[in-house]
Amino acid sequence: MATASQAAPAPRASMLGARLREAGWGYAFVAVPIVVFGLFFVYPFGYAIYISFLHWGILGKQPGSAGTFNYHAVLNDPIFHIALKNIAEYTIGVVPLEMALGLSLALVINQKIRGRNLFRSAFYFPSIASSVAITTIMLYIFNSDGLFNHIIGSRTPWFQSAGTAIWSIVGLNAWTTSGTVMIYYLAGLQAISTDVYEAAALDNTGAWRTFWKITFPLLRPAHFFVLVVFGIGALKLFDQAFIVGGGGGGPNNATQTPVLYIYRDAFTGADFGKAAAAGVILFVIIFVLTFVQRLTVGRQEAA
Amino acid sequence: MTLQTSVAAAEPFIPGRARAAIARKAFFYVVILAVAAVFFIPFLWTVATSFKTIPDSVNVHLIPHPWTTSAWHAIWTQYDFKTYIKNSLFLAVVVTGCNLVLSGLGGYAFARLKFPGRELLFLLVLGTLMVPDQLRLIPVFVMLTNWHLIGSFSGYILINLVTATNLFFMRQYFLTIPKDFEEAAKLDGAGPIKTFWKIMLPLALPAISALVILQFQGTWNDFFWPLILFGQGNPHLYTVQLGLAELNFTYTTLWPEICAGSVLAILPILVVFLAFQRYFISGVVSAGVKG
Repeated sequence: MATASQAAPAPRASMLGARLREAGWGYAFVAVPIVVFGLFFVYPFGYAIYISFLHWGILGKQPGSAGTFNYHAVLNDPIFHIALKNIAEYTIGVVPLEMALGLSLALVINQKIRGRNLFRSAFYFPSIASSVAITTIMLYIFNSDGLFNHIIGSRTPWFQSAGTAIWSIVGLNAWTTSGTVMIYYLAGLQAISTDVYEAAALDNTGAWRTFWKITFPLLRPAHFFVLVVFGIGALKLFDQAFIVGGGGGGPNNATQTPVLYIYRDAFTGADFGKAAAAGVILFVIIFVLTFVQRLTVGRQEAA
Repeated sequence: MTLQTSVAAAEPFIPGRARAAIARKAFFYVVILAVAAVFFIPFLWTVATSFKTIPDSVNVHLIPHPWTTSAWHAIWTQYDFKTYIKNSLFLAVVVTGCNLVLSGLGGYAFARLKFPGRELLFLLVLGTLMVPDQLRLIPVFVMLTNWHLIGSFSGYILINLVTATNLFFMRQYFLTIPKDFEEAAKLDGAGPIKTFWKIMLPLALPAISALVILQFQGTWNDFFWPLILFGQGNPHLYTVQLGLAELNFTYTTLWPEICAGSVLAILPILVVFLAFQRYFISGVVSAGVKG
């Protein structure tokens, strides 16, 4: 194009011209994304912190600072405590289950079996279906007169009783996400060199021992990845809790979660200042946990 | 990226062990089929119920008796799922298109074009991955309210024009393409646009397919942002996920209709998944942080 014709008479000037043009295109190509990220991620980050120090209720933004009023309100709110307790139980319950299920499925799919791709698709399918639809289906199946209770001969409304609701969501999400976890473990399994297995076979090491002594430790990068990504994901539980609790926190706030709490504060309580403060608190909790995780598990992984 | 393992050489045949091996294999298939059934039965059950009557929906037999399509008629017309499906399709197509164009061009620029401040701007892209939705929820809602974009598709599309995950994903893919192709194009005098269009885009087809499929699925399944932006009394803007949640809350035991709605909320993604599962799985692995 133009570059070629200019190249002959003035090589240096055209080089500079070409570089300027390239930079121009570079800015043009990244302009919209940078504006979107700046406007809807970077700026809101600061804006959220600002709002959290204001009285911003149903009457809109009030003049003057609220100081740490909103933070006190959130941290002293018994419902927020319940939300934190629930999410801690949920995360501690769901992450190991997801890992165990995902790894088991990956080990099965990694075998030389007939119809591997078919099984892999079947196991992966719940992962791609919408959270709302999956939760709805499970509400039906685990309803007091649903299929599950017919099979086990009970009438427990699993998602509606305070004692079982959060654990039902644990089971539901362990099941739906195990397919995704399986995919990551499959990638991990296939990154293990076949040499180590051949060495184990020569030593006549049994399958069980080979798994615990060789496969499991060599999957450490996959364990770490799943732990971090799905651990953080678990702390942000919302869709399933929202559907199960009918938009609220469920019986006795049994399925109340921090993100649900933020949503309720903002759109039912119309208290943006308090909701923003709860958002900042949750962000700090997740940030600190990630940091601790990197320092402990991550260091082991690097070693 | 494929997930196939190389098939090892056939094991030597040892007569004494053959029967035990067959028994073990049979047992293995029984277990794996049972597990697959556990994954499959809820969906089968849901489809069956969508053809049942309300009294029949709490019975434990799979085959509807009597067989009826009244739940399907009801959700399509009375509960207006035809509008919700249309809305979901519209948003998924537009958001996916915008993400494709913007993260394609942006990813290419970050991978290949030289401009001052590139590394700094890229850090900003990565930084956005740290800002969670529950933190930007309030400010974004306030901003869109001030701009009168609550209760309109434009607000949703605007905040979802491009994601850092997609941009990062495309950049990483462009980095893996050997530079020789572009050098040749440059010698022929092609500018950045032509190089991108003629050389890079065709080579990035696997990444593009993965992006399109995962973003379409992400937007179709999205519940949080539609709830925030359209959930406050804008039923004509409901996506299929919002419509299903509403149906669920309002008519808690209208199981045939609820099941039909669930099937509708899953079906398009199932079709896309069955057609392009290779891209689904490779995309999930390489995008890493998605979902």
